[in-house]
Amino acid sequence: MSQSLRPYLTAVRYSLEAALTLSNFSSQEVERHNRPEIEVGNTSAELLLQPMHVSRNENEQVLIETSVNSVRVNIKVKQADEIEQILVHKFTRFLEQRAESFHILRRTPIAGYSISFLITNKHTETMKTSKLVDFIIEFMEEVDKEISEMKLFLNARARFVAEAYLGEFVY
Amino acid sequence: MLHLRSHNLLIQKTLSEAYEANEKGAPLTLDRIVSDFDYTTFHITNTPDNKVILWVSIRTKAWQSVLQCDPNNGLVSFLQSKYANAAGVSVSNNTEPGYDFTLQIDLNALNQDSIVQVSLLKTMVLSFPFHLAFQEFAQLCTLPIPEDGSSIDSKTLYAIQHRDDEQFFIKASNDRITVIFETVFQDETDKVLGKVFLQEFVDARKRNRSIQSAPQVLVSHEPPLELQNQKTTRNVQADSSRRFITFVLFPRHFQTEELQFSSVSQLTLFRNYFHYHIKCSKAYMHSRMRFRVDTFVKVLNRAKVDDEEEDNESETQQHTRRTITGRKMVY
Amino acid sequence: MSYLNNPAIVMDNGTGLTKLGYAGNDSPSWIFPTSIATSQASGAKTSSNQSNTASGAASSGGSGQINNPYFGNSTSATSFGNNLSSNNLLLSNNLAGKRGTEDLDFYIGNEALIASQGPSYSLSYPIRHGQIENWDHMERFWENSIFKYLRAEPEDHFFLLTEPPLNPPENREQVAEIFFESFNCAGLYIAVQAVLALAASWTSSQVTDRSLTGTVIDSGDGVTHVIPVAEGYVIGSAIKNIPIAGRDITLFIQSLLRERGEADTSLRTAERIKQEYCYVCPDIVKEFNKFDRQPEKFAQFIIENQDKTKQKVVDIGYERFLAPEIFFNPEIASSDFLTPLPTVVDHTIQACPIDVRKGLYNNIVLSGGSTMFKDFSRRLQRDIKSIVNSRIIQNEAVTGVKSTGVDVQVISHRKQRNAVWFGGSLLAQTAEFKSYCHTKKDYEEYGPEIVRNFSLFNMV
Repeated sequence: MSQSLRPYLTAVRYSLEAALTLSNFSSQEVERHNRPEIEVGNTSAELLLQPMHVSRNENEQVLIETSVNSVRVNIKVKQADEIEQILVHKFTRFLEQRAESFHILRRTPIAGYSISFLITNKHTETMKTSKLVDFIIEFMEEVDKEISEMKLFLNARARFVAEAYLGEFVY
Repeated sequence: MLHLRSHNLLIQKTLSEAYEANEKGAPLTLDRIVSDFDYTTFHITNTPDNKVILWVSIRTKAWQSVLQCDPNNGLVSFLQSKYANAAGVSVSNNTEPGYDFTLQIDLNALNQDSIVQVSLLKTMVLSFPFHLAFQEFAQLCTLPIPEDGSSIDSKTLYAIQHRDDEQFFIKASNDRITVIFETVFQDETDKVLGKVFLQEFVDARKRNRSIQSAPQVLVSHEPPLELQNQKTTRNVQADSSRRFITFVLFPRHFQTEELQFSSVSQLTLFRNYFHYHIKCSKAYMHSRMRFRVDTFVKVLNRAKVDDEEEDNESETQQHTRRTITGRKMVY
Repeated sequence: MSYLNNPAIVMDNGTGLTKLGYAGNDSPSWIFPTSIATSQASGAKTSSNQSNTASGAASSGGSGQINNPYFGNSTSATSFGNNLSSNNLLLSNNLAGKRGTEDLDFYIGNEALIASQGPSYSLSYPIRHGQIENWDHMERFWENSIFKYLRAEPEDHFFLLTEPPLNPPENREQVAEIFFESFNCAGLYIAVQAVLALAASWTSSQVTDRSLTGTVIDSGDGVTHVIPVAEGYVIGSAIKNIPIAGRDITLFIQSLLRERGEADTSLRTAERIKQEYCYVCPDIVKEFNKFDRQPEKFAQFIIENQDKTKQKVVDIGYERFLAPEIFFNPEIASSDFLTPLPTVVDHTIQACPIDVRKGLYNNIVLSGGSTMFKDFSRRLQRDIKSIVNSRIIQNEAVTGVKSTGVDVQVISHRKQRNAVWFGGSLLAQTAEFKSYCHTKKDYEEYGPEIVRNFSLFNMV
């Protein structure tokens, strides 16, 4: 693991641990409603907390938006070139397509980020907070790894395919 | 499957079945449509009253432009000569309406080898301009080499429109034959993946010693010099994703008839091969991503508090109230 | 655009068999098992290399592979027996042992069955109970179907795929994801198998109006479904399954042959006897008597070995009519399922809304290979009719109201064996088909959820 990645992930971990202190909070506007305040818009500013922004460089950032009963974690995955861009796009879309089984995955990311998670008090009540944080951290590590592996695969495959084709002309 | 085959498996199968059924004395009535890459459709038919005679008609996008390659209209006689030696196969004079070319097949005289020849029909059609270029090369070779060592280029450029918005070009010189494909991608992902693949086509020959003798490959954004004198029908620059892939064939790639044929059948499948492998890579990436999704879900599920555990705890710690139907009260 | 001239591709992927072909043809171009043989990650590598180079040598040289370079377009899942010894038939893909290309090293269909005989491939069936279980394998199965067997560039063709009734919409989305993202297909339509079987029955002379209301009896190799369809929509709650189908009939014949100690009691022989000699009789007791009086009813089945040197003779007796009888009297073969098919059909229709029941009785459509027995439709029609009539008489006695009567009609037609595929071919060749499809452009605009809805065909 590269040197600056460790502190970056540690920073995200601590910020998340701090952010994931949620409580059940009924809507102040609509009777008998209970909704993730972070998604509702800023009708009640007192329920929103200061967002936290952890940034490794301009390509890798995490924005943690917190509110009284919900946290939104937005991750910007490293995209160094055109290929990584398309791979990240494909991968995140593939995940979002299966958001049902991910519970905390948001079906569309917030503008400017690759993928967003929405964690509500319901989730922190049924899941262990520390394990949730573990998941997000592992996710960030694995996504980078997966993207670079796919890129390597693509190059290797392209090379193999090209050589196999041209090999047919060798007599 | 790594390589695409140059013959059409389905035509081969259909004809073999018809042949076998005829041998057994129970000939089939056929009216089949078979398709092939690049807007090619075959039609295999016979009539109920004479089931021994089959017609195989082809309609292909490239037909018109291949026809125009030769001002002397040599295409049909070229195909005639190709099928002259195939037993039971002859060129029909009555081309089926709606199709470009029709072969007539006599099942009684057919053999396995001519079945394969018929299933190569599309390759045969596309090989005509190559055939012309090989002839031209042979002529240019006999000319004296210019003092300055430069090559003599043929005046003619064969342009074959094999897809709606893609063409390929063939040009002969006295020391080589150049084949240029233009390629365009509909899909954003394909565009990027295609770029990676094309780059490897260019580099492959330099990197791998064992394929040093393969044709040289060049990829460019701009139409190569060979095409610049030619007025192309469309505004080529309009599309930024358009690429030109140039294959430079040296004499060793077309010294004999067999080599000519194998080079040509490889080249005519280039576009299909290229796109096939882009699709295979995407399929492979899908399986990788499916695997990832599974592992991620597993990690996430580890975070879940076990339901039973929770029940036990809450039951011992505090009395849970239940409704009359046994449901837990929700606070 | 000229892809409009390209024929649409119709693919019917069933649990046992896959039917592939171009719209407009009267039968599928390819029928082979829905199986895939994938290379095993490691181990047995040296031996696989050897066998592959050997078969590579046998098949090299373009037109040299003339023996049998494709693998029979057989119509039965068990009739691959002939090919088993022919290891050389496998066209080597020269991929064994090359790292990083394992995903290209596989075979599908009959080739998969052959490849899995060797040490380096393992066989699997990606579809279970009509639904896709292994998406990785299915994606590659389609990849090979399209590029190798159909030789089509999916960008240039529209596709009609089939799905079983009650397929979850998520599965449709996954199919769309594969077809639009991996293959960039031009357009896609996913049709329910039962509805296509109804459409296929329009070719029958018995059918006067082209309605999409009817009961489909779909009997394949593994299971028999009774599916009511009202105006193109499947009535899911009323679907019934019967665990008796083609394989049970074959096994029943085999057990009868074994009891008698015939010369050959292989599954393959039983299968051929089923296909060539069996029929449905109106009454078993009478049929037994008929056999006893007319010995010419007994048939003989002669098996020749491959070199045509030896012959085995198998006598065929009562199983000619007894085997298909297990649909109507299941107790002769099974002990756990005892409801006859006509009763199940009647129950199914009775479970449907009362307004459509007449239409369902009036249009009972057969589909699948196990409904091909001679006089199957007649017997079924007679039995259902008698159930319905006795109910009407009972009802009239109780209420005193005269019934207007219910017309029971079982429709049998020549395309029954591949009815689903044929119905697909009929629909996909119409001019309107492409307007019912979702195109790649639609998919990119709305995402995979677009395939949750397809507009119904109404062909008048």
